[in-house]
Amino acid sequence: MLEQVARVLCWLSVGEIASRSGLLPLPAPVTGLILLYAELVTRGELPDDLGALADRLLQFLGMFFVPAGVGVIAHLNLLKAEAIPILAAIVGGTAATLFVTMVVVNRFGFAIANDQRRTSASLEGAARDVNS
Amino acid sequence: MSTLDQLSALTWNSLAEKPVIETGATVLAFWAATRLSRLGGSHPLLNPTLLAIIFISLGLEATHIPYETYLRGADTVHFMLGPAVVLLAVPLFRQRAVVRASARLIAVGLAVGLPVGVLSALGIAWALGASSQTILSLAPKSVTAGIAIGISEQIGGLKTLTIVLVIMTGITGAVLGPIIARLARVEDPRVVGLTMGIASHGIGTARALQISEVAGAFSGLGMSLNGILTAILLPLIWKML
Repeated sequence: MLEQVARVLCWLSVGEIASRSGLLPLPAPVTGLILLYAELVTRGELPDDLGALADRLLQFLGMFFVPAGVGVIAHLNLLKAEAIPILAAIVGGTAATLFVTMVVVNRFGFAIANDQRRTSASLEGAARDVNS
Repeated sequence: MSTLDQLSALTWNSLAEKPVIETGATVLAFWAATRLSRLGGSHPLLNPTLLAIIFISLGLEATHIPYETYLRGADTVHFMLGPAVVLLAVPLFRQRAVVRASARLIAVGLAVGLPVGVLSALGIAWALGASSQTILSLAPKSVTAGIAIGISEQIGGLKTLTIVLVIMTGITGAVLGPIIARLARVEDPRVVGLTMGIASHGIGTARALQISEVAGAFSGLGMSLNGILTAILLPLIWKML
């Protein structure tokens, strides 16, 4: 388990160095995420205790942004003053994103399914041709 | 100042040096928030993070403890965010077979959902006269909070404001997702899940998991990939402007 903790902190540190030195305009944890994923793909397998560590920690992911979130009390006036644009952007923007994305992806999903059906149909046809 | 006051101030200061109280209060608040959320059938409106933020804020208000003092103590909890985000690589790795099998569907979802998500929010906020600070804090609203904080910092938004906007977006997506799927006559759980993850990150994913396991898996993927891609693209585009 200690090895896995060290592994996570190691990739996070690399991300931190890359971010602080201005090498990558990426948040350090995101660089760490990408590097850990790359390492796992290279290894081809997930160490058991790394999986356990992830399950345990991600269970409380919501707790880890409480301290930063409480900072919003410093911006209550801003939230109040701009309540209408903020609410409209969140509700309107999220609704638009959901609708547009679902419709486009669904149509595309049908296209793939039809494509596959057509491919398998033509393959069947080819097989029938060979048999006849 | 009476001796008693001095004594209590002294005791308080020595305790405030150590993060025990703030960390303990944060864990306790989140535990209570989780219990309350479960009692309410895990309804998206009873988001444990939002409830815990409200509990702590009310507590600070009542005790007149400044936010900076609290944050210094609760920094231990805040620190865990970094390692936790790195560990998001694990569920992503577990789902790699699904990613490969539905790569094109996922790519289309991201190509549409990511820009529509960012631009629709920025466009509406800008049109209704929001300040540039609010607009910048809104930009990563669809991204999972751990990553969104980093993006907000990179582009000059207020990270504390971003967290609350992110949670509000998550709740909105979790509530609207299934309703809009019905309106748009979309039944494919892969499409519904993927879209909810892209539009409303972890909170949307929790709701998608209630629809079905497939919807939940695709939602988790949508959340992770959208978070990574937004983190790569948004600061880059911001730098070019």
